[in-house]
Amino acid sequence: MKKVLSRFLASLSLAALPAAACAADGSVDSTTLLRFSQDSRPGVSSRTLLPATSFLGLDADKLADGKLSAHFLGWGRADLADKSFNENQADGSLTYGYLQYRFGAANAQARAGRFFVHEGIINEQVDGVSARTDLPYGFGVSAFGGATVHNARIPGTGSDGKGDGIFGGRVNYRYGGMFEIGLAGVFETDAPTMADPNLAGRFGSHRVIGADLWYSPISKVAFMARTSVNTETGGVAEQGYLLTVKPLKDLTVTGEFNDYQDRDLFYSSALFAAMPSMLSGNNLNQESRTLGASASYQIDSKFELTGDYKHYTRDIGKADRFGGELRCTLPDAALRTGGSYHYLRSSADFAVVPTSDASGSFHELRAYAMRDTKSYFASLDVIDYLFKRDIDGKKSALELYGSLGYHLTPNLALSGDLSYGSNPQNTDELKGLIRLNYSMKLAGKGDTK
Amino acid sequence: MRPSSQSLTLLALVALLFALAACAQIKALPNLPATHPEELASGPVSCTECHEDQQKGTLKQYAAFNHSRSFIANHRFYAGSDDILCASCHKVSFCADCHTNQTEMKPSVKLGNRPDRTMPHRGDYLTLHKIEGKLDPASCHRCHGRANNERCVVCHR
Repeated sequence: MKKVLSRFLASLSLAALPAAACAADGSVDSTTLLRFSQDSRPGVSSRTLLPATSFLGLDADKLADGKLSAHFLGWGRADLADKSFNENQADGSLTYGYLQYRFGAANAQARAGRFFVHEGIINEQVDGVSARTDLPYGFGVSAFGGATVHNARIPGTGSDGKGDGIFGGRVNYRYGGMFEIGLAGVFETDAPTMADPNLAGRFGSHRVIGADLWYSPISKVAFMARTSVNTETGGVAEQGYLLTVKPLKDLTVTGEFNDYQDRDLFYSSALFAAMPSMLSGNNLNQESRTLGASASYQIDSKFELTGDYKHYTRDIGKADRFGGELRCTLPDAALRTGGSYHYLRSSADFAVVPTSDASGSFHELRAYAMRDTKSYFASLDVIDYLFKRDIDGKKSALELYGSLGYHLTPNLALSGDLSYGSNPQNTDELKGLIRLNYSMKLAGKGDTK
Repeated sequence: MRPSSQSLTLLALVALLFALAACAQIKALPNLPATHPEELASGPVSCTECHEDQQKGTLKQYAAFNHSRSFIANHRFYAGSDDILCASCHKVSFCADCHTNQTEMKPSVKLGNRPDRTMPHRGDYLTLHKIEGKLDPASCHRCHGRANNERCVVCHR
């Protein structure tokens, strides 16, 4: 029954396709990429990889009485040479596909099909239905329910670790624009039994409740917080706090603190639940904390300067990351460029192979530039990581990424990318792709990008 | 701490009561526009270039949503409670460029011609993830936690 329901709701999302044909407003976005590379690593049989991947997005607005819309995004891949990735010569996925009805007031809307839910602490992908509305006196409510969207199975278990059904929702209260509190919860039906002994006592059903807060007593200060509790383990999984201050019109200063309890946070992830034991012994109660600050200053209409610092605390050690970035955007965004530097200072415990003479510290340097005109567009991106201690005999990892394209028509663009890398995995890594992008907007007066 | 059936029933009843009490007045509450009424320029957005920073109803101040680097780095705090405001300018596919369940390639490869967009895992992340994953695994879990991305599963099982 659950499989039937799941398939029915996923099929319902296909209604987005014919709906697009009779839409008064909407857009079509298609990106097709043909990647090419050759895998000739020593000890691995040589392969020629030529996967063709197409992403298709459709948005059909103002259907029926003008309040109905349909939305679709998916991708498909066919390997034109050797298998590029998994056991399948072809693959694909429906990212989302749903019908949405937007009511005439109170930001009320209902959805049916496959969609994402972002409500407070909730981030889920669902085959089902959802509804939300504002209510008088500053209240609001949202709810969703349906079938879980299953994905790749964990090898050897025959399952992805998810239950078959999921529902949840959020209630919130706002006072003017200065205060909001939201309470949210998600309940997934029982997780399947996983045969992996590493998961015993560490893995279970996905059931979380939590709260989010916004408080802005004056226009220059905003405080945001969110916390979630895993009702299966009874522990606080995540706490996050963000303070934003704007002492000047163009200056934004932030301070943040995050605390994570790995066992409570990873409990419903078949992939992550066993990782702490793999990384540093059988210690699932590892606490992760980050404390950070940043400042962004819009120097003028073209330049933005950002500095940031973050301190990491884990049971296995501590680390600091700091750096800065300068970005430049010329009028009409015809030229965009930027450069950044960051340094991660960490102990040997965070090294790829944590031995006494290893280090997890590295410098990161990046510079990019892109030019977009009515006829052509081009970009260059350079990223270099300089390791404090060699990793697999390499002192650095460099990647050069260049792209050159031409607008064949206002809606159709053809481009090619070429990248070169030299890193601990590969002495020389050369990759390329050809990209065909089609983007069309039907009679839209607003901006959607 | 398993939620009891009574507490879930109580939560549902409270929500229902609010819904019923509000029905009569709900039509007076305004809608945010489905799409931004004016064409926006490309590049970083500053809402306060046009919007006066005045609070109207329960709408938060526009200045809070200026797309500074700090805003972009912390956008999860804003998207969780104001996704309808985001949707007036951004299509869902804009979010799904990074936030998706089953992914085929790194976002920075799909959009390799847009180095100006903040994309995760640029450069040699195959090496870097062995350090970053130990440093802040929660940041990995946020996107990859329950997605079981096939590339992760290859080594991590």
